[in-house]
Amino acid sequence: MIFKELIKIIIYGTLVVLFISVNALFLVWAERRVSARIQLRRGPIHVGWQGLLQTVADAVKLISKELVLPKEADRFLYILAPMLVFAPLLSAFLVLPLAQNVVIRDLNIGFLFIFSLTNITFIGIFIAGWSSNNKYALLGSMRAVAQNISYEIPLLLSTMGVVLLTGTLKMSELVPAQAKGWFLFTQPVAFLIFLCSSLAEANRAPFDIPEAESELVAGFHTEYSGMRFALFFLGEYTAIFISSAIAAALFLGGWQGPLLPGLVWFLIKTYGIIFIVMWIRWTFPRLRSDQLMALAWKVLIPLAMVNVFVTALVLELQKILA
Amino acid sequence: MTETLVAQDEIQSVARQCLAQGYFLESFTAVDFAECIELVYHFNHWGPCQRSCVKVLVPKNGGSPGAWSTPSISSIYKSANWFEREIHEFFGVTFAGHPNLKRLLLPESSEIFPLLKSFKGEPKGADVTQSLKLMQEDTREFKTQEAVSLTQKNKDYYLNLGPQHPSTHGVLRVLLHLAGERVLAGEPIIGYSHRHHEKMMEIQTYLGCWPNMGRLDYVGAMSYNMGYALLAEKAMGLVPTPRAEHIRVLMTELNRVSSHLLWMGTFLLDLGAFTPFFYCFDDREKILDILEMATGERLTYDYFRFGGVDRDIPAEFAPAIKDFIPEFKKRLRDYDKLIRQNIIFEKRTKGLGILTKENALAYGVTGPSLRAAGVAQDLRRDEPYSLYPTLDFQVPTSTDSDAYSRYWVRFREMEESLKIISQLVDKIPAGETKLARIPKNFPKGEYYSACESARGTFGMYLVSDGTLNPYRFHLRTPSFSNLNAIVDMLPGCVVSDVVAILGSIDIVLPEIDR
Repeated sequence: MIFKELIKIIIYGTLVVLFISVNALFLVWAERRVSARIQLRRGPIHVGWQGLLQTVADAVKLISKELVLPKEADRFLYILAPMLVFAPLLSAFLVLPLAQNVVIRDLNIGFLFIFSLTNITFIGIFIAGWSSNNKYALLGSMRAVAQNISYEIPLLLSTMGVVLLTGTLKMSELVPAQAKGWFLFTQPVAFLIFLCSSLAEANRAPFDIPEAESELVAGFHTEYSGMRFALFFLGEYTAIFISSAIAAALFLGGWQGPLLPGLVWFLIKTYGIIFIVMWIRWTFPRLRSDQLMALAWKVLIPLAMVNVFVTALVLELQKILA
Repeated sequence: MTETLVAQDEIQSVARQCLAQGYFLESFTAVDFAECIELVYHFNHWGPCQRSCVKVLVPKNGGSPGAWSTPSISSIYKSANWFEREIHEFFGVTFAGHPNLKRLLLPESSEIFPLLKSFKGEPKGADVTQSLKLMQEDTREFKTQEAVSLTQKNKDYYLNLGPQHPSTHGVLRVLLHLAGERVLAGEPIIGYSHRHHEKMMEIQTYLGCWPNMGRLDYVGAMSYNMGYALLAEKAMGLVPTPRAEHIRVLMTELNRVSSHLLWMGTFLLDLGAFTPFFYCFDDREKILDILEMATGERLTYDYFRFGGVDRDIPAEFAPAIKDFIPEFKKRLRDYDKLIRQNIIFEKRTKGLGILTKENALAYGVTGPSLRAAGVAQDLRRDEPYSLYPTLDFQVPTSTDSDAYSRYWVRFREMEESLKIISQLVDKIPAGETKLARIPKNFPKGEYYSACESARGTFGMYLVSDGTLNPYRFHLRTPSFSNLNAIVDMLPGCVVSDVVAILGSIDIVLPEIDR
């Protein structure tokens, strides 16, 4: 029994890590192609078919690069930070409903589990900025922590509407509940708040102030090089994938769809949201940190609360009328 | 232009009078003569130009450089701060009452005074180890301050923004005093790309000075060509051929548009928007292609000559411009919709980096940054030169004097430049582009002339002794004064705004460092 479990863990673990790497390579390529289309360029087209192998070449370059360790850095924390950023993201794949009955562990706390574990990455980001002993990195990590704590609240509040409608946190039950209609149509405000907050959570433009390269050089990962830097990168793209996957599962009906198998529908919806995220990144200027905070506390949180309140009110009224 | 010679101790009262009458310090430099150092102040007035030149003689009295002293006017004119530091390091004049008389453009440890005629170019002064020691002493001072304050409640610290930083538009260092992200004070530190054009030109022939003009402000080099041409023609009494005159104005305006486009792209890059950069560069490429047709150069133009231009334009030049204008007008409409009407852009730039009129006067700010503060000063209209009096164009202004209005002014300037180009492109007269005979050197005397570059007033002060080389050639570059004005814009903003403010005033470092 234990042996069987162990084999399962090893297989799933390998699959997840493999998926994360391939996914990140694909997303980096996609990002470069999308940005190139937006910016009158062609992007990578020479290495491999349509330049698909360009990111592989970049990954090989990053792996073979020297791992620079700044003289004044806090060695232990400096090396720990990239791992701390990357590792928790693996856990999210435990509960993602990829297709009907394809969930590694169907926990009854579902996506709450994802949010609580992926938040460990911010501790990693803060440690990275702190241990680098670089003022730019410290400023970047300071901003990251402030931003992520603030945006955690609207992010979770926006999902509460969906939870009220279904009465469950379980991912495998949330998706079938949308058989008659996506929650995008019953909870449009919640979807927008969720998208907005998850952009901020993933440090994506226009909320990329922790790594704002025109201000802070590269923010919290200024001092990192080689594979350690690549881990931050991998973490960023995985975080985008996870939040888009959650959005697809919560608001776009997950793996449900006609003709095609569930996994394909799920990936189509997820990458569709990721495309919108990229589109936003290459269209807007960056917000300032105080404006970002104001947006979270003065707009998104009240709006999310109103959304929860209205949803609850409608549900109660329906009960009374019925 | 009125010219007055005042005594050393009277200069402060003269400066105070000038400031009260609304004059700003346009140019301030020195000339080395055998018995004395002559300080030359050029005051100018907003609106229709009324230049007044004030001279002060600092006697040498047989002393050595550094011992010659004169009263400072940096407490009256804030722009005099850097001018006086520059004169101090190049001529060894000490300004009594100057708050911070350190080296400005040369290395910290240099002990040479290169613009003195007694200087023969001994390769000493740039002692690297000594410079490093002085810089370390500087930082040590900061470190102790930091250590003290970290134990206290006010946790302020220093941050060197640059010289290696993606958003300083060149090698510029801004020393920021921060509390968290809030800026308490900031000071730009320059001199990293100093090449000493002024000394270089003293050992060159007048014709040999042309390439230097393209290498000062490499983004808008045509205006600098124009400036030198105006100065030379004023001195030599030449009248350029009508065809050359038309080509010159066309080139200058096209270059102004390309310069503003580069600024627009990089300014939005500072604000975190990547995509406009590529669009601006796409348009700029088209302009550079057109300019390349005639000049053969894409960046450091060396095209104008005394009384004309270097080469005639090819036949496809005018049609290329005619194709470009409607295309670019369409693009401008897109930019306006996508950039200015974007809410994030508006929120980021409105009310940011306010330059009051008092500060603009005290710092001698010119160009679009000044026009964004509501002053319609443009030398093309106020001191008309070349073909500009015959042309129909507006001087766009804005009253908010923030980063947003600086964007808006430059944007509308591009439209005005297009207007000028479309007025001229159809009526380029036939004829010669060069004069048959040109004198080799300037007649003996001193000359001052200024023109409007993409960044502001570009002034040139030249003293000729009738020989083949200039005796003294001073360049008044607009960004030099404009950059200094950020000292009063920075306090109170956050780190993100520092790069936005720096971007909004549009600096080109080689032009500041010369």
